Amino acid sequence: MEQKGVTVWFTGMSGAGKTALAIRLEEELRKRGLRVERLDGDIVRKGLTRDLGFSKEDRDMNIERVTFVAKLLTRNGVAVLASFISPYRAARARARQEIGNFVEVFCYASLDTLVERDVKGLYKKALAGEIENFTGVSDPYEEPESPEVTIDSGTETIEESLGKILAKLEELGYVPTSEDDSAYTEDEEAEIEARLAALGYL
Amino acid sequence: MGFLDKLRSKRQGQRVVFIGLDGTPYTFLKRLIDEGRAPNAARLAEQGSLLRMESTWPWVSSVAWSTMMTGVNPGRHNIYGFIDRDPATYKQFIPTSRNMQAKTLWEVLSDAGKRVVVVNVPVTYPPRQVNGILVGGFLSPSLEKAVHPPAYLATLQSLGYIVDADPWKARESKDLAIQEVNAVLDARIRTLYHLLEREEWDYLHVHIMETDRLHHFLWQQMEEDHPTYGPAFYDFYQRIDDMLGQVAGKLDGNTTLVWMSDHGFCTVKREVYVNRWLMDKGWLRLRNVPPDRKKGLDEIDPSSVAYSLDPGRVVIRLRGREKDGCVAPGAEYEALRDEIATAALQLQDPDSGELIFQRAFKREELYHGPYLEQAADLILAPYDGYDPKGTLYKENLTFKGDELVGMHTHHDAMLYVRGRTLPQTRFSVLDVMPTILDLLEVPAPAGLDGHSLL
Repeated sequence: MEQKGVTVWFTGMSGAGKTALAIRLEEELRKRGLRVERLDGDIVRKGLTRDLGFSKEDRDMNIERVTFVAKLLTRNGVAVLASFISPYRAARARARQEIGNFVEVFCYASLDTLVERDVKGLYKKALAGEIENFTGVSDPYEEPESPEVTIDSGTETIEESLGKILAKLEELGYVPTSEDDSAYTEDEEAEIEARLAALGYL
Repeated sequence: MGFLDKLRSKRQGQRVVFIGLDGTPYTFLKRLIDEGRAPNAARLAEQGSLLRMESTWPWVSSVAWSTMMTGVNPGRHNIYGFIDRDPATYKQFIPTSRNMQAKTLWEVLSDAGKRVVVVNVPVTYPPRQVNGILVGGFLSPSLEKAVHPPAYLATLQSLGYIVDADPWKARESKDLAIQEVNAVLDARIRTLYHLLEREEWDYLHVHIMETDRLHHFLWQQMEEDHPTYGPAFYDFYQRIDDMLGQVAGKLDGNTTLVWMSDHGFCTVKREVYVNRWLMDKGWLRLRNVPPDRKKGLDEIDPSSVAYSLDPGRVVIRLRGREKDGCVAPGAEYEALRDEIATAALQLQDPDSGELIFQRAFKREELYHGPYLEQAADLILAPYDGYDPKGTLYKENLTFKGDELVGMHTHHDAMLYVRGRTLPQTRFSVLDVMPTILDLLEVPAPAGLDGHSLL
């Protein structure tokens, strides 16, 4: 089936598992033969939006630029996996409106879990007042009101979360289901089998 | 390198050109070199390392090339043969790139920012996304569906590219077989030169399938020095040798030439129908004799305890895994597996009295990883000359035909790397991917089963 473009938008606080999940989803979609691009906050901020900081205006501009890129890719049939804290509801709503084919994945983890996990050591610094505008500590995070998928990385394994996202993408017709996942039509399979038999491989 | 070439070659760093010579035995190429029939290969062998390599068990191209391109064993890449089955439903299917569960060499290179061009490797259909061009191999239903990105199709069509030789024509007569493999080789080489000179790549991989096809249809005639087909066989290899020389001559100092074959070849003494043998031993019963081909494995009677898939893969009808499986896991399963293995090693060719199988591997002796459950329970490794088949029903245990006269061997694959001295150790197709990554100075992903030979 023809690939339908979509942006899967991972939102959530730092350390909630957005990037890890996007990387696993990327692997899974590639295995299914889909074209995929990943846009990640940590990477984009080193290039496309390196001039921006973390004030509300700058955060909105960051999301605006990324939305533009995601829109172009999505309308050209690519599965875009965007992982950004994107703390403001209004900015996410604009992204949804601009892009169209949009699946919001809310990556939740309790603040206790995040502080305990603190993969990048940022919460420690933020709680000590060393980082300004840190989402969830010194800056707001507005939780999505009706995301397509909510995952809780404090209680779910990454594979469980992945399963939920894939099921939603299949349901919405962005990813082929296991039934129509066959590489061949019936006629094609019969012909390839006959070819293998003619070569003595069956 | 000329000024124009320099302009064209925008890629920085090390590059590799990889030629897949499907099924060309190491010992055969060595003989051609020794007899002066392959002057280019002879010269190149002196400029690098030409080594004998082990294939996989079973030694079919789908398993061997999947192992080459992933650097992991089948228990981790999930490709065990040209045909497989869903144990719960007995639906048979042809494993494709969709079933491959490991990252390929070209995907790892793409992630590292390298540009790859990969053409005609088995089990790469449907094409998965790479940074560059990928054209699926002979399991592709059509060229139109085999090409990534689809826009490259027009270029391939303009080159007269052909996916594979027509096996039905080749079965019709030896003359047609030779005509067919030469015509497809023409198109393949034309495409190779085009890609080499006109496309941008860090890793260029072109797979020659025609060697394998020639061998299947004419290996015996070559070995027997047939007055017409013997010379035709050597003429074909002269073209392969010429191609190796031409390719080598077009490369700059930063580009390493590598070629590889995935298994060896020998003359078929007898095809061996493993399911016939399982029936004779009382381990397999069919609902109808002869069975309805359309029903496939559903023709297996539920009282059966084992069946075989091509080539020499014996599956025990384990309860809880196989459809209507009746063999209890644990002691009963192990006892039956031992019994079948022991009997297989005693099986003799009814005509000559020669033993047919040299080893009966339990799957865990060959494979490990998350997809081990998909593997057959026993993998029977034949002596060279005995070609195990997976046909569900045959009246007789063995057969000698005159259409398909060549078969694969395990120990006679080969690897060539120009400009490097590789250790003369025993190694297998598992080690090829890490070696290429090493040549390209790209770190190998963690946990590969193979190791770089550099």
